[in-house]
Amino acid sequence: MNYFPDEVIEHVFDFVTSHKDRNTISLVCKSWYKIERFSRQQVFIGNCYAINPERLLRRFPCFKSLTLKGKPHFADFNLVPHEWGGFVQPWIEALARGRVGLEELRLKRMVVTDESLELLSRSFASFKSLVLVSCEGFTTDGLASIAANCRHLQELDLQENEIDDHRGQWLSCFPDTCTTLVTLNFACLEGETNLVALERLVARSPNLKSLKLNRAVPLDALARLMLCAPQIVDLGVGSYENDPDSESYLKLKAAIKKCTSLRSLSGFLEAAPHCLSAFHPICHNLTSLNLSYAAEIHGSHLIKLIQHCKNLQRLWILDSIGDNGLEVVASTCKELQELRVFPCDLVGVGDTTVTEEGLVAISAGCPKLHSILYFCNQMTNAALIIVAKNCPNFIRFRLCILEPNKPDHETSQPLDEGFGAIVKACKSLRRLSVSGLLTDQVFYYIGMYANQLEMLSIAFAGDTDKGMLSVLNGCKKMRKLEIRDSPFGDKALLADVNKYETMRSLWMSSCEVTLSGCKRLAQKAPWLNVEIINENDNNRMEQNGHEGRQKVDKMYLYRTVVGTRMDVPPFVWIL
Amino acid sequence: MEVSNSCSSFSSNSCHSESSVNLSLSLTFASTSPQRDTRQNWPPIKPLLRDTLKGRRIISHGDDTSLFVKVYMEGVPIGRKLDLCAFSGYESLLENLSHMFDTSIICGNRDRKNHVLTYQDKDGDWMMVGDIPWDMFLETVRRLKITRPERC
Repeated sequence: MNYFPDEVIEHVFDFVTSHKDRNTISLVCKSWYKIERFSRQQVFIGNCYAINPERLLRRFPCFKSLTLKGKPHFADFNLVPHEWGGFVQPWIEALARGRVGLEELRLKRMVVTDESLELLSRSFASFKSLVLVSCEGFTTDGLASIAANCRHLQELDLQENEIDDHRGQWLSCFPDTCTTLVTLNFACLEGETNLVALERLVARSPNLKSLKLNRAVPLDALARLMLCAPQIVDLGVGSYENDPDSESYLKLKAAIKKCTSLRSLSGFLEAAPHCLSAFHPICHNLTSLNLSYAAEIHGSHLIKLIQHCKNLQRLWILDSIGDNGLEVVASTCKELQELRVFPCDLVGVGDTTVTEEGLVAISAGCPKLHSILYFCNQMTNAALIIVAKNCPNFIRFRLCILEPNKPDHETSQPLDEGFGAIVKACKSLRRLSVSGLLTDQVFYYIGMYANQLEMLSIAFAGDTDKGMLSVLNGCKKMRKLEIRDSPFGDKALLADVNKYETMRSLWMSSCEVTLSGCKRLAQKAPWLNVEIINENDNNRMEQNGHEGRQKVDKMYLYRTVVGTRMDVPPFVWIL
Repeated sequence: MEVSNSCSSFSSNSCHSESSVNLSLSLTFASTSPQRDTRQNWPPIKPLLRDTLKGRRIISHGDDTSLFVKVYMEGVPIGRKLDLCAFSGYESLLENLSHMFDTSIICGNRDRKNHVLTYQDKDGDWMMVGDIPWDMFLETVRRLKITRPERC
């Protein structure tokens, strides 16, 4: 290969975009490492503490796009305190100093401040795309800086962030000369929206393909917006209180008919039942439908809508749709690839939920299904075995039985055999979440059969350390392991310290791991950061005479090449 | 084969009847984690979804239940929220609403002078308040609207 000049090799590398593949390429030889280094455009950093900005810049001087992830996944469920870390500020500062030609920044579970957004908006002249997922720490003032200063902004995508809404005029901060927007998603903002500024912005953005509104955008505004942007592909409806006979509603129906490019629908944050029928005419074009926030819509209306959606590939819905609703999905949505069913009623006194029957129906009716997240009240081994047989192509299988430790509701047995069938049949399984009553046996199956498994989530499961050991020994491709409320302790934690070098991270909370066990691990593996998160009894652990045997509430460990981080809050202890 | 298991008082490799397994496990787990009884942060759903579901009308706190519905007066863009469980029946509801909106509100018969109370049921249809028994009404009501006198 070395008889090609570098430019040719570089051109070939341009076709390789996946960061995993590029990492592999760079290992082939020194010359390829060098060429790849200078030509890498998009850098992905799965754990912002595994490396630092200086080393990033040293290795990849020419990148344009950066993806950073901060807090561990369980932070989504309140298990990680807000001040734990994951600050983007040092990264933006370093990139600005290094004069990186940054065009795209994608952050997940990071702390972003208004100061960071302001610096970002002023430091990179070609900046085009900002995607923030599950981030926090900023306000609409920060958004105003982005709007005002990023002259070539194409994408502003805010997904499920905690944003302090100052009810300011951030939308009117987009200059009149800004006509380049392709994506605008502000669904997670809680406050009022300047509708006039929004309409003007949409009207002067001919390339706008994705628009997701917050709950403060009412029906008549929605109708006007859709008339301005009939080219829209992805729409997030905000508020949807309507009176079916009103003029606004009729205008909306007319506007919807014109949106022939619409493929993805979401939102309905405050929705009245009748609203959905306005969308029936374009349902056959939809490939993605997210109704998981439409808590007020009755199952029957959901079903009526879905009956029109023959080409759906992705469906996120609440369990108020019921098993019979899922049967309708199974018979209508033959192209379905991804399904998520969320619980409507957290207290458990709900009227309709879904059971194993709904899951079986979907598995039988949707041959292309490869990803599922399913919250339900009950499950059986028999059902899981049928599902495994119907869908051997699962890549992601996440089952959450609402009541922890609940056994097979017909046989009262643990659900080991059911999940065992899933991992045996689904040879491409990369992500798995287990629940219900489970013994060490299920982990034996997982270790034995789940060869491609990269991420495993365990809660209230297992009997002994053997369970965790089976997983650590068996799953060669494991990258992220997160465990809560399960009886795994030091013996499993310390059995194979080198395993953690092949993984991104391990989370264990409310398990049997002790402080001395964690200390021993930290000693054996200096290239790991072993963090103890102790919100309540900060210093008690050290002063207490029994410290060695004291159980650790939350432990988070991850491989890193830059040692202990400097921004540790007082309640986090790095061993 | 024997694995030390610091939390279990029974051996891990013998057969048990299902109920004793459940019982043992729940007793076992009670000692491992101080937060076990509160089942904190479970089920694993994101805060935004959790808040959306909490914003739903029906909230149960043990024996007390609240049923919050939105009430709009036609022509007035800002609505109110009302806990219907706080009322014993239609009479107290009407009385309270008349007071809240400072006008006379009736239900049932059409009237040129008074505002008439209507509700949206779980099928999405707008109906006159007062036709069905109060308990049935509570189960089906989604929102209330006080209409202008001539409308009905």
